[in-house]
Amino acid sequence: MTTLGENRRLPHVQIRELKDDYCEFLLSDTDPSVANALRRIMQVEVPTIAIDLVEIEENTTVLNDEFIAHRLGLVPLVSNAVSSMTGVFETAGESGFMDVEMTLNVKCTSDETMEVTSNDLQLDPNHPEVCPVGYSHDAFDPEKKGILLVKMRKNQELKLRAIARKGIGKDHAKWIPVATVSFQYMPEITINRALMDTLSEQEREDFVKASPTPVFRYNNITKQVETDHIEQYHWDGEALAKAEELGKPGLVTIKERQDMFIFRVEGTGVLKAEDVVITALDVLHRKLYTLQTSLPEQDDVAPLPGVQ
Amino acid sequence: MNAPDRFERFVVPEGVRKISLEKDTKITNAATFTLQREDHTVGNLIRMQLLRDKEVTFAGYKFPHPLDYHIFIKVQTRGKKSPREVMDDALTDLCDEFEDIKSKFQGEVRRMRSSSSGFL
Repeated sequence: MTTLGENRRLPHVQIRELKDDYCEFLLSDTDPSVANALRRIMQVEVPTIAIDLVEIEENTTVLNDEFIAHRLGLVPLVSNAVSSMTGVFETAGESGFMDVEMTLNVKCTSDETMEVTSNDLQLDPNHPEVCPVGYSHDAFDPEKKGILLVKMRKNQELKLRAIARKGIGKDHAKWIPVATVSFQYMPEITINRALMDTLSEQEREDFVKASPTPVFRYNNITKQVETDHIEQYHWDGEALAKAEELGKPGLVTIKERQDMFIFRVEGTGVLKAEDVVITALDVLHRKLYTLQTSLPEQDDVAPLPGVQ
Repeated sequence: MNAPDRFERFVVPEGVRKISLEKDTKITNAATFTLQREDHTVGNLIRMQLLRDKEVTFAGYKFPHPLDYHIFIKVQTRGKKSPREVMDDALTDLCDEFEDIKSKFQGEVRRMRSSSSGFL
């Protein structure tokens, strides 16, 4: 790494919880713009795989072709192979495959209603790792029923070819790799000691009880109000209202810290939550690097004429 | 159907610069950068980083319209560094920062994995 720029921050990361589909971490010593860029990239620019093209050969179900194609698009596909794929809009010459071809061929022959699910999809023999999340052939396990696509009655048939491709959430929501991704500002609660001392013990206990979340604690020994689980504060303002009611505005001040963020990433099973974060950081880095390398040499370079 | 193609949001058209700059004709040491196919994500990020530079007297960004897929970043400097140079520095710092966050995050992932495997 080159010498540290004088305006460079040195952020810190601390993971608190890490599961395949959930990741909670603390990002500190940086700016809200960094946190928000990371959040936005995780949501909308981390590539995944989803069905993008559907060729329908036979459809006698109650749902029309477009409806079924849309439902297929929304089926989450395990996307660990996405790094070796090339997207439709990426420059040619990059190695990697573009299409994953799945087929669906079902016909209802019984008198009972038949449920067509994601488990009925036949995978691409060249890329069997690209499959619907929770894909299984265990028809008797109710936990592994698959994602319902359409219901059929006797003699209805559905036969189609589906092509899955790499894409990003900016293009279509079906490529979004997360169920939720959010960051929260760490609250900062300061108690005005001098003002607190003017309260009676009963008033202090009432004040502590006023907050619906256990943000304050009444210490029975020292008879003092202390801050407790600060980050559980819901920005409800109840404590501030209570202070006002007691005639002591400014008893506590609550601020959003601008340098500490709690991130919560919930995956959909398409990618591991940690991989979503890592890919997002990669995407952002590449984005900024491309901008830097394409920065014009001269001080005055207009975009090419004819284009806004 | 006259909706624009979805890909226009993130594919830079052939022959167009990803980033270009135009000097301000009325103000010295000021320029406007045009970033193609970018939005608030990068706009706000760069603006805040530019403002950390003591040479920068003004930095702001504009995302003019949701269907115009480009942003403008206006910068004015004190004169020791040109707008192009402060932009270059800001981008370097941000690149380094994200690389740093990534390696720290990966270190944390390893820490979590090793501590959880200890109980198995």
